[in-house]
Amino acid sequence: MKISYNWLKNYIDLDPVEHSPEVLQEVLPLLGFDIEEIEKLGPPQLNNVVVGQVLEYGQHPDADRLRCCKVSTGNEGEVHDIVCGAKNFNEGDKVMVALPGAVLPGNFKIKASKLRGQPSAGMMCSSKELQIGQDHDGIMILDAETPLGTPVNDLYTDGDTVLNLEITPNRVDVLSHIGVARELAAKFGLEVKYPEVKASTENPAAGEPLISGIEVSAPEVCPHYTAICIKGVKVGPSPKWLKDAIEATGQRSINNVVDVTNYVLHETCQPLHAFDAAKIKGGKLVVRMASQGEKITTLDDVERELDGTMAVIADAERALVVAGVMGSVDAEVEESTIDIVLEAAYFAPTSVRATSRKLGLSSDSSYRFERGVDPKGVIYASLRAVDLILEVAGGTVDGNMIEEGAEPPTISEVNLCPDRVRKFIGFDISDDEMQTVLESLGLGVSIHDEADGTARWEVAIPSYRQDLQRDVDLIEEIIRVYGTDKIPESEVVARGINDNDHRIYTVNEAVADYLTGQNFDEAFLYSLRDPEEIKFFFGEESFKVLALDNPLQSDQSHLRPSLIPGLLDVLKLNAARGTGATRFFERGHVYREVKGQMVELVSVSFVIVADQISREWRQREVADFFTAKTLSGEILDIAGTAASKLTFKPIEDCKLWQGGHSAYTGDFAKMGFEATCGLLNVATLKDRWNLTTPVIAGSILMTPKFFERKAKRGRHLGVSNQPASAKDLALIVDQSVHAGDVEKDVAKFAKKATQGFNCESVRIFDVYEGEGLPEGKKSLAVTMSFRAADRTLKDKEVNTAFDGIQKLITEKTDYQIRK
Amino acid sequence: MQEQLTAIVAGVRENAPNIQKRAEFEAYKATISGPKGSLTDVMKGMGKVPKEDKPAMGKAINEAKKAVEAAFAEVIERLEAAELAAKLGPAIDPSLPSPDSVRGTLHPIAQVREEMVNLFRRIGFSVAEATEVETEHYCFDALNIPSDHPARDMQDSYYLPDDLTVNNVSKENDEKYLLRTHTSTVQIRTMLKEKPPIRIVAPGRCFRRDTPDATHSANFHQIEGLYVDKNVTLLDLKATLDHFVKTIFGPKAKTRLRPSFFPFTEPSFEMDFFSPDLGKLSNKWLEIMGCGMVDPKVFKAVGIDPEVYTGYAFGMGIERIAMILQGVDDIRYYYQNDVRFLKQFA
Repeated sequence: MKISYNWLKNYIDLDPVEHSPEVLQEVLPLLGFDIEEIEKLGPPQLNNVVVGQVLEYGQHPDADRLRCCKVSTGNEGEVHDIVCGAKNFNEGDKVMVALPGAVLPGNFKIKASKLRGQPSAGMMCSSKELQIGQDHDGIMILDAETPLGTPVNDLYTDGDTVLNLEITPNRVDVLSHIGVARELAAKFGLEVKYPEVKASTENPAAGEPLISGIEVSAPEVCPHYTAICIKGVKVGPSPKWLKDAIEATGQRSINNVVDVTNYVLHETCQPLHAFDAAKIKGGKLVVRMASQGEKITTLDDVERELDGTMAVIADAERALVVAGVMGSVDAEVEESTIDIVLEAAYFAPTSVRATSRKLGLSSDSSYRFERGVDPKGVIYASLRAVDLILEVAGGTVDGNMIEEGAEPPTISEVNLCPDRVRKFIGFDISDDEMQTVLESLGLGVSIHDEADGTARWEVAIPSYRQDLQRDVDLIEEIIRVYGTDKIPESEVVARGINDNDHRIYTVNEAVADYLTGQNFDEAFLYSLRDPEEIKFFFGEESFKVLALDNPLQSDQSHLRPSLIPGLLDVLKLNAARGTGATRFFERGHVYREVKGQMVELVSVSFVIVADQISREWRQREVADFFTAKTLSGEILDIAGTAASKLTFKPIEDCKLWQGGHSAYTGDFAKMGFEATCGLLNVATLKDRWNLTTPVIAGSILMTPKFFERKAKRGRHLGVSNQPASAKDLALIVDQSVHAGDVEKDVAKFAKKATQGFNCESVRIFDVYEGEGLPEGKKSLAVTMSFRAADRTLKDKEVNTAFDGIQKLITEKTDYQIRK
Repeated sequence: MQEQLTAIVAGVRENAPNIQKRAEFEAYKATISGPKGSLTDVMKGMGKVPKEDKPAMGKAINEAKKAVEAAFAEVIERLEAAELAAKLGPAIDPSLPSPDSVRGTLHPIAQVREEMVNLFRRIGFSVAEATEVETEHYCFDALNIPSDHPARDMQDSYYLPDDLTVNNVSKENDEKYLLRTHTSTVQIRTMLKEKPPIRIVAPGRCFRRDTPDATHSANFHQIEGLYVDKNVTLLDLKATLDHFVKTIFGPKAKTRLRPSFFPFTEPSFEMDFFSPDLGKLSNKWLEIMGCGMVDPKVFKAVGIDPEVYTGYAFGMGIERIAMILQGVDDIRYYYQNDVRFLKQFA
C-alpha cells in the first residue's frame, strides 16, 4: 500500500520536523505497519533541464518511429534539433527538454549526437524520466502558459515521499490514507480531519432518470448496493493535485472521473465504480450471479469466462463488472461520456476472494473487499466521490441515491477488564493510560463498576475496526500504541520441572555423536526427489503413493523413500570437486509405501567410499560389509534395540544394494525398525552417479511409534570370578549355509548339553574354504567358552559337555565335524 | 678343580658377548649349566673332594656359578633389548600426516539447531517432535487460519493427493494431507496430547512451495516454542526472547517487538534485533522471528480453557539464524554439502 506523505497531510496536521517522513519511517513499523520501500518523488536537482516549445516536427527519413523536431527554449534564435520517439505532442506544445550537459536520474548523460543520421541535441522527457511522476507513455506536455526556459526545479518545487507499507491482512482499514492518518493521530495525539461531504443522498430528479432501478438477485454476495447518477460531466484530464496523488500511489491517471473513484478508494478504502450511463442497456443495473460460461472482457483487455459462483453487475444484456473485482471495457467512462452512474457497494469478502482466485485477477478493489471493507462506509465514500466529481468534472447530481439492501451488521462493543489486561501483559499500565490509548484510536470507553468491585469497560468499536472482537484484540491495540519499547526488561522465569525430551530428538543427538565420532560428516538434503528415481528403485506402487498433488518442479515431485540417493549426490558432488571426502551421513524423515498407504519414518543413513587405492603413505583397512554391519547395529542399539540379537539376512537381487554383498534385518512395518547395509549396487552407482569406486552404506528406518518404547533398565546378574574353559570345534558345511545359523545351532546344543555350569558364549572365529576341503564346502571354526559360577571346572565335565554337543551336531544336523 | 672353574668362567666371559640369538644362547647355556654341562660336571665332583677342602671348594663353585649366571643375565638382557628393538622397528617420524580420517562434523544447520535447542532446554523447555506430513486441520484450521486465508492457497503449500492415506498421521475429518508449512503444527499435536503446563520447543523440517533462490528453499527448518500455563504473560515472552537473542548474538544485541499479525497469536509481534558485531549485517534491524500470545481460538481448538490458561508461542527459521551467525548469503550452500563448506563451521 503506497501512502503519499503530501496526501496524508490532508487528514492530519503533520509537523514538518516532528512528524517528518523520516520520523514516520521509524514510527509506522512499530505500530505494526512495516515499510517495504520508500520513494522520493519530485525531480532531483537537474541542471540544463528547461521548458521548451516544439516549433515544428517532421518524420525521420530513416526511422518510422522517430520524429525530427525543432525545439525552442526561449533564448533568441536558440533552436535545438531533437529526435524524439514519442508521438503524443503537437506543434506549439510546451515540453520539458534536457539539453546537452544534463544528467538525468540513473546517471543518464545527455549529449549532442546523431540518431539514425539526424542530429539530436537534447531530449524531450517523460515525467518518469525526470522523477516527477510515473507516466512513461509519452513526454510531458506542460500548460501552454508556462514560460519558455524555466528550469525544471523552478516549476516542480514540491517533492513527495511515498511510503510503501506492508499491511497485515487483519487491517484492511489501513489500506487507505485516512486509515494511516488515524493510526498516526493515535500515536502522536493529533486529530483526524475527515473530509466534509457536501453532496446529499436526496436530490430532486430533473426529467428522465438515468437508470430506472437496481435489482439485486444475489444479496448474500452483495448485501448493500448503492448508485447515484450525475448528469453532464465533462470528462478530461485530471487537475494536477489529483494526477499527482494518483501517480504517487503508483497508478496511472486515466481521466478526471476514473481518477476520482481511485482517489476515494485510496482515501477511504471503499472501492467505487463509475459507469457510463449511456452504455447501460435497458436502463437498469442488475447484481446477479454470472451464468456458466458467460464472457466478459475486463479492463486489462483479457476476455474471461465466468461461472455460476461469481457475481456480476450487469445491464439488461450483459455483465459490465465482475462484482468487486474489475469492470469491463464495455462500460468504461471515456472522453465521450456525459452522464455517469456511480456505484458504491459492500461485497462479501469470501465471494470476492473466491472469484479473484478463480480468475487469477486481483485489483485494488478485490484486495480490499476480500479483506472486508467498512460495512458502514459505503454512503460516505459515494458522496465524497460525488463532491470530487462535481469539483473536477462538473455536472449535477440527478435523483436520489438508489439503495438496495442494507449495511451489514457490525460488532459495536467489546468488554474489557483493566485488571485482566495487567495480568495478561505482566506489567503495569494505569487505567488512564489504557483509556487514553483506546480513545486515541477512536474507541469510546464507558466504565461500569461491577458488584465484585472490579471495573468493566464497554469499549465502543467503530464500524471500520471489525477486527476488534475480543479483549485480547484490544490488548494488542493498547500495547501497540502504548509502545512495545515500554515493555520492561525482566529475568527469565523458569517455573516447574522440565519434561523429558522426545526420544526421536535424543536418539538423533546420540546417533550424530556416534557417527561424527566415527568420522562421518553430516549432510542435509532435500526431501523431494525425482519421480523416475523413485520408480527405478522402489517400483510403481511407491511411485504412486509418494507423489505430491501439486509439485512445483517436475524433478522434485515425490517424497523420498530413502536417504541414500541424496547421499550419493553428495559423494558425486564432492568427487567432482575433488574434495577427498569419503564419509557422510544424514538424519531425516523418509516415506514408504505399505499396502497402498504412506508411512512417515525416521531414518539415518551413511555412505563410505571404499577406495582401495587411497593415496596415503600408510594404508588403512578398507571398509566392507562388516563395517556397515557394525555401524548399523550400533545405531539400532542407540535407538533401543539389542543389535546383538539380530540376524542379518542376505539381499539377493536389488537395484540399490549389491546382491550377495548386502543384508538387512528387522521389518519396519512389523517390528518398527529395519536396517539394510553393505555394498551399494555397483552397476547402478556407475550408471546413475558415475561413481566407480565401491560405496558401502547403511540405512536405518524407524517408525515414530518405535521411539515410544520404554528403555529397559539393566539388572545385576552377577559376574563369576572362576576361570573359563574353552573348546574349539571345526565344522564342515555347505558353502551356502550361513555362519549365523551354525552359530545359533551350536549355541542351542551347547545349552542343552551343558549341565551344572554354563556355556557362556559361542562364536565363529574362522572361516576356511579351499585346499583340503571338498568342492562346495567350507569349514567354520567355532569357539565355546564354559564357566561355572562357583568353582573351577574339571576337564572331565567340560569334555562330557563337549562330547554331548558333538553328538547333538551329528544327530541333528548334516554339519560334519572336522577331526 | 679350581683351574677348571677358572677356565669355565673365563670361557663364559669370552663367549657370552658373542651370542646373537636366543636358541644359540640356550644351546651354549646347556653346555655350561645343563645336565651335562661343564659347570654341572665340576659340581658333581664335589662328592670326591676331601672333607677338609669342601668349604673352600664350595665357595669356589658358588663364585663361579654366580659369575656364570651374571654373564648369562647380561646376555638375556642384551637379547631382549635387541628383540624389542626389532619388534618396534625404526623410530617414527612424528611429522608424517596421520593416515586416519578425522572426526566428522555436524551439519551447520544442525549445529545452530542444537545451540538453540540447548539454550531453551536450560530455561525449562523440552523438545517435542511430530511428523512432517500433516493435515490441513493441524496445519491451519486448529491454528485459526481459515480456509480462505491466503496461506492456504495451493500456491503456497505442497499437498498430497485426496485418495491417499498416510498410515501414521491422524486426520480430524476428511481434510487434505500436506507437508507442514511451519512447525506450529507441533503446538497443536502437543496441546491435544498433554495438559498444561506445557513448555516445548519443536525443531523440524517445513516445506513451502517457493521457487528456490538465495533465501528460499523447497524445504527449510524452523524451531517453534510454546509455553502454556496459568499466568504466562507478555512480559515472560519478552524476557525469554531477549535472553535468546542476547545468548545467541551476544550481550550487545538489542531487540524490539514490532506489532504484527498471525492468526494463531494475539497480540502478535515480529521480533527484530540489532547488533554491532555482524559484519555486513551490523547496525540494522533484522527480523528473526514471529511471536505472540496464544490466541484464545487456538486454545479452544485443542480444548484448553483460555479463561484459566494463557501462553506464548514463537517460531523462527533455523536457516535464517544460521545464515546470520555464519555469514552465509545463499541458503542453497547448506544443501550442497561440499565438505569444504561443512568443515568451516566445526
